[in-house]
Amino acid sequence: MDWGVIIAGLLTLAIFSFLYRDNPAYKMAESLLIGVSIGYFLVITWTNTLMDLLFVPLTQDAKWPLIIPLALGVMMFGRFHKRTAPLSRIPIAVLIGSGAGVAIPAMLEARTLRQISATVGPLVTESGLPDISLIAVLVGVLTTLVYFYFSREHKGALGGAAKVGTYFLMSFFGTTFGYTVMSRMSTLIGRVEFLLSDFLRLTQ
Amino acid sequence: MKRLNSRHWIFSGLFAIVVITMAANVNLDMRVSPETERMFNYIDSLPTGATVIVSFDHEASSLPEIRPIALALLRHTFSRDLNLIGIALLAEGTGIGYRLMTQTADEYDKTYGIDYVYLGFKPQYIAAILSMGESIPDTYPEDYLGYAYRDHEMLQNIKNYNDIAGVISIADGSLTTHWIEYGASRYNVKVSAAVTAAMMTTYDPYLASGQLHAMFGGLRGAAEYEKLIGIGGSGKRSMLAQSVAHIYVVLLIIVGNIIYFRGRRKDGGSS
Repeated sequence: MDWGVIIAGLLTLAIFSFLYRDNPAYKMAESLLIGVSIGYFLVITWTNTLMDLLFVPLTQDAKWPLIIPLALGVMMFGRFHKRTAPLSRIPIAVLIGSGAGVAIPAMLEARTLRQISATVGPLVTESGLPDISLIAVLVGVLTTLVYFYFSREHKGALGGAAKVGTYFLMSFFGTTFGYTVMSRMSTLIGRVEFLLSDFLRLTQ
Repeated sequence: MKRLNSRHWIFSGLFAIVVITMAANVNLDMRVSPETERMFNYIDSLPTGATVIVSFDHEASSLPEIRPIALALLRHTFSRDLNLIGIALLAEGTGIGYRLMTQTADEYDKTYGIDYVYLGFKPQYIAAILSMGESIPDTYPEDYLGYAYRDHEMLQNIKNYNDIAGVISIADGSLTTHWIEYGASRYNVKVSAAVTAAMMTTYDPYLASGQLHAMFGGLRGAAEYEKLIGIGGSGKRSMLAQSVAHIYVVLLIIVGNIIYFRGRRKDGGSS
């Protein structure tokens, strides 16, 4: 008898019971999920971050420069008191400054430049035929950008292009919604499979 | 007893459909999509003994969908005799990743430290991705089990991404984007992804631009991959349930629209 499977099965049923109405079994399972998640996260953070990256190298390997991040971390707790609150601005400034410095060039390259370069490829294939998918991408990008251009009223050619842009947007939203439904169904199917095969042992 | 309303009937109907179709245990035959085939061909093209990083970038809540995807992928990589380095950039994926890797490694008689190693979780994913580009042993001095990095035979010549054939991010969120932005763009490591269905449209532009080398995902992707590797799994078993559940949702949308338009016509007539 696998107690882990039994507990997991009962908790799954307790969560499903919410579909009928809110009840103590659901509340207990929900609280347990939150508690276990936070507990697991705290343990992992303590062992893999604070111990492995800070306290052990600092105390056992005498890596003294680590005092700087330790001090910055302690300053962050200054927010809990009015008089020490300004101290927390220093680590926040370091975080924002270094974060932006690392992120801006990388995001500009990966999300903007490479995407633009992929959009403006040759519109004709090597065999001389028009590349339908690339033309669709180009038209989609341009008309969607026109839709988000608010400096002039959407009338005439601008209005027509914006209208086409909305169709591309709607197609995207529809596809994304379809995939999301598929994803949620997969989660339900996964739990039902667990209940039928591992918990109730009705199927193999 | 509380009176049942339409919400209860809709959920009960869906639950009944999924239970009945799963209990029927029918495997649907399906056409493999070009995206899944591309991922399969990529793994297949890697030479025996090549080292691949498998990053478990997901949370526990997506396990029902991630599990069949990850198992199909891991089975293929182990069957191709690739060396795997498992890592996790989200805390919740750490234990799941280790369990999935050891389970599939046992199926293929793979030895820990020689054929695969699990390095575990590293906080601050951007810093971790960048740090591994400089030195993986400095980023992970020890593995998940506490053994020193240098003690593993498989890792003796693995210093950074230059010694890695590619990274496969198994994700349920935006973490693959960071692999693309920091791993692929800065260090030119080949990044591929195995993602949940909800994330497919997010990563499609990266696949089209070539920033993602290959990608497959969702339960359907898992089923297609299982077909390609010729091993049955929960992806294949779930396809009938998923198809019927989708038809059920489409019918609900049609019925909902009919009720809406009939109600609107009635309101229009009375005003």
